[in-house]
Amino acid sequence: MRRVFTIAHTVWLEMVRRKDMYVLLVLLLTLLFVLMSLNVFGLAGMVRHVLDTGLLLTWLFGWVLAVNVSTRQLPREESQRTIYPLLAKPVSRAELLVGKWLGACTITGAALVVFYLAILLLTLLRGGRGAFNWVTAGQAFFLHFVFVAIVAAVGTMLSTRMNYDASASISYVLTLGAFLIVPRVPHLVTLETGFTRGGLLVLYYLLPHLELFDLRRRLVHDWGPANWSAILFSVAYGLLLVAACLLLAWLGYRKKRFSRSDAI
Amino acid sequence: MEAAIEIEKLTVRYTARGGDVEALHELSLSVAGRQIVGFLGPNGAGKTTTIHALLGFIQPSAGSARIFGEDIRKSIARRRIGYLPELPDFYKFLTGRELLRTAGRLFGLPRAMLNERIPALLEQVGLTDAADRRIGTYSRGMMQRIGVAQALVNDPDLVILDEPTGGLDPLGRMAIRGLIGGLRDAGKTVFFSSHELSEVELVCDRVAILANGRLAAEGPVDELVKPGESLEKYFLSVVEKKPE
Repeated sequence: MRRVFTIAHTVWLEMVRRKDMYVLLVLLLTLLFVLMSLNVFGLAGMVRHVLDTGLLLTWLFGWVLAVNVSTRQLPREESQRTIYPLLAKPVSRAELLVGKWLGACTITGAALVVFYLAILLLTLLRGGRGAFNWVTAGQAFFLHFVFVAIVAAVGTMLSTRMNYDASASISYVLTLGAFLIVPRVPHLVTLETGFTRGGLLVLYYLLPHLELFDLRRRLVHDWGPANWSAILFSVAYGLLLVAACLLLAWLGYRKKRFSRSDAI
Repeated sequence: MEAAIEIEKLTVRYTARGGDVEALHELSLSVAGRQIVGFLGPNGAGKTTTIHALLGFIQPSAGSARIFGEDIRKSIARRRIGYLPELPDFYKFLTGRELLRTAGRLFGLPRAMLNERIPALLEQVGLTDAADRRIGTYSRGMMQRIGVAQALVNDPDLVILDEPTGGLDPLGRMAIRGLIGGLRDAGKTVFFSSHELSEVELVCDRVAILANGRLAAEGPVDELVKPGESLEKYFLSVVEKKPE
């Protein structure tokens, strides 16, 4: 495990020294301050609106970070030839993949912590103690982190066989498609018959159900904490998706050639 | 004595745009411990492919190889190796010291050992003053030197150097020659590919010459090269011979 953590640690060091996360945090805070200065909804409405918009931006930024960090790692190791000294050490391909995934999802998780703290702090400052439920906020963050872990696993899987641009684009399309379209499939199924209906059902069960990890509405509208068994089920489902993606990544990566002679 | 490298009928084939390429054809080679072996051949002869196969970057199509008795397909086979790639490139966002620490951790070395070894290595390669600078600011020569330091961080028994003097100025080449001499004195095995035949002649106990993916000659330098002749002349006579 030490090698996995060392690889993850290098992902952390790189991200901490890049500007991506800081730019996103400044952007988030700027947008939230602008929202707060426009008190067009009345106080209660504004607090809810700040929380809603802040969470939406956090989801957007977390998604962008998870895709970018995870899909950049392996292709850049190859293009910058840093893969050679790395794989010349007693590091297995599986350890490399897990380390890269772990680094990508934990650094994005750390950024999420900062984003959530900023939003919740601003909401508290405006709305007082009763502005949101702390338990629901904890659940929302936890499931959001699992979502980020899944997106990072999808990105890592695609980047084993594609360059950065291709793997990032497909990761965006795949995860956004799953997030927006899959929850609407049951409604579409009732409108269709025959082959289309069957195809939609296959799609429904095949694509990841990322909507399970989104507790924003529950938090914003103060519906109270979700049932813990539902949370545990979602986490187990998320871990299963992560494991499946990393397994597919390993199958595609374990015998991949790294050699200048490929270019001949 | 335990063989450092044992290669048996190693074949590497791959498909390129122009068709199938056989980069290595049934290469068999044994490198005993505590020797300095020069691995020679013209461009495209298969030197880097052999090194990449030994390090697990590419899977052989046939044949096998072992490093200190361990099958090269297992990552554990690389625990006693230090490797300096041709045109080394490292994480530019790390400092020299962080790179060595990361390399040491990947070998599973304990923190206390790294705390001792890293300053000594930085001193050895003359990078003590630049140890806390980002690698992105290093010159080509400094990059080569930090590459040498990371290759030695685990105190390896076998050091594999791929074109270590390529692109270096005379001072840099002399430093590499000194390094190889130091490794010989420390009882290490050094396996290095090079185009610099004069360098090879100076430092190597044995040479192996590849041509068209096949082993064309192998043996001690003083046995292969006749008195009064140079390694360069012998090399040319071997690689210009048509394969049977």
